Amino acid sequence: MTSPKNMNARERARLAAEQAAARKRDRRILIGVIAAFVVVVVAGGILFQAWRTSRSPAAAPSTSVSASPMTINNGQPIVLGSAEAPTTITLYEDFHCPHCAEFEEEFGPVITQAQESGAARVELYPMSFIDEGSVTAANAMACAAEAGFGQAYYLGLFANHTLQWSDPQLIELATKVGGSPSEAFRTCVTTKAHADWVSSINAVADKNSVVQTPTMLINGKSVEIASLTPEALKAMITSASQR
Amino acid sequence: MSAPAATESRFASAARWVSTAARLVLGGVFIVAGALKVIDPQSSVAAVRAYRLLPASLETFVGWGLPFAEIALGLLLVAGIATRAVAAATAALLLVFILAVASAWVRGLSIDCGCFGGGGEVAPGQTAYGTELLRDVVLLLLALWLVWQPRSRLALDGFASSRMNPHGEPRSPEPGAMNEARG
Repeated sequence: MTSPKNMNARERARLAAEQAAARKRDRRILIGVIAAFVVVVVAGGILFQAWRTSRSPAAAPSTSVSASPMTINNGQPIVLGSAEAPTTITLYEDFHCPHCAEFEEEFGPVITQAQESGAARVELYPMSFIDEGSVTAANAMACAAEAGFGQAYYLGLFANHTLQWSDPQLIELATKVGGSPSEAFRTCVTTKAHADWVSSINAVADKNSVVQTPTMLINGKSVEIASLTPEALKAMITSASQR
Repeated sequence: MSAPAATESRFASAARWVSTAARLVLGGVFIVAGALKVIDPQSSVAAVRAYRLLPASLETFVGWGLPFAEIALGLLLVAGIATRAVAAATAALLLVFILAVASAWVRGLSIDCGCFGGGGEVAPGQTAYGTELLRDVVLLLLALWLVWQPRSRLALDGFASSRMNPHGEPRSPEPGAMNEARG
C-alpha cells in the first residue's frame, strides 16, 4: 500500500475519486438493504396477522347463565338471562368494535355476575358496521341464541375478538364454548340464516339514534361509559334492581 | 484537548445532539404507535376503514402492514442507520397521515385517528382532529430536521462510516468522531 506521502497530486486525486465512488456505492447498497428490511418486516407482519386472524378460537370463560332456546324475531334483541330479572341491561355492540372488546373485558364480569344471580338480564343488539366479520358474528350469535347457548357464545365471541370470523371459526367456537354444534346450527351459520334479522338490528339501532358502540342502557336509561368503573356499574345494577 | 476545528462549529456540535434527540423521540413514538396497533389487527383495519379513503381490498393490507412499517422505521431511527433516507421516508409517511386526518376533518367524518391503536368512529363531539394534526406536524418537523441535519451522536451511521474508511485520508481527530452519523 502506497503511503500518502509518496503520492503525487494526480494519484491522490484518482484515489479520492475512487473513494468517493466507493462511498456512493456503499450508500446505495445500504439504502437497498434498508428498503429490503422494511419490505420484509411489513410482508412478514401481514402474514403474521393473516395467521392470527384465521387461527382457531380459544375457549372462553364458562358461564352458568340460564339459556333456553329463543326465537329470533326481526327487530327484537337477543335476551340473555332470566326473563323475571328485575333489571334490563340493553347493550348495542359490534363484535369487531375495539371499544366493545375493551368494554367487555372491563365490565363483562360484572354484567355476567348480575345475569347469573338473576338480578339482571341482557337485551343484546349486535350491530354490524365494522366489517364482514361483524355481520357473520352477529348472525352466528343469533344462531347460538336460537340453539340455547347464546350467553357462552357471546363471551366466546368477545374473548376471541381478533379473529376474522369465518364460518369454520364460528362453528368451532360453538364446540369450544361447550355448546355441541348441531347440524341446524352449522347450517344457520353457513347459510347466514338470520341475515335479515342482522340488518333489522342495524335499522333499530339507527331508529333509536345509537351513534356509537358500545352503548348501554339500564332499564331504558342511557349510561355514560367513558367515566364508568366496574364498581359503579355494580352499584347501578343493584339500585336499579331494588326499585 | 485541542480547540474544536473550524468545521466543528458550535452550531454543528449542538445540532448533533438535537438530531440525536429527534431520532430517539421520533423513533420511539413510531415503535410505540406501531406496537399498539399490531396487538389488535381487527381494530387496526377498522381504523383504516373509518377514513373511507381506500378500496376494501387494500384496507386489510394497510391495516395489517402499516404498523409493522412504523416499527421498522422506528427501529432504524433509534439505531441511527441511514438516518437521512429513513427520516425522509418517515416524513413522507407523516405527510400521508396528516393529509388523511385533515381529509377526515374536512369531510365531516367523526373518527378517532387510530394513531396509537383504537380508532374508528366516535361520537361527533369526541373528535380531536386539532390535537392529532398538531402532534403529527410536530413529528413531521422532527423528521424534516433529520433530513436536514442527519448527523447525530450515538448512531450506528457514524460507527460504520468511521470503520469503513480503511485507506482514506487520516481523519482529523474530531471529538466524537466515532459515533458521528453521516446520513
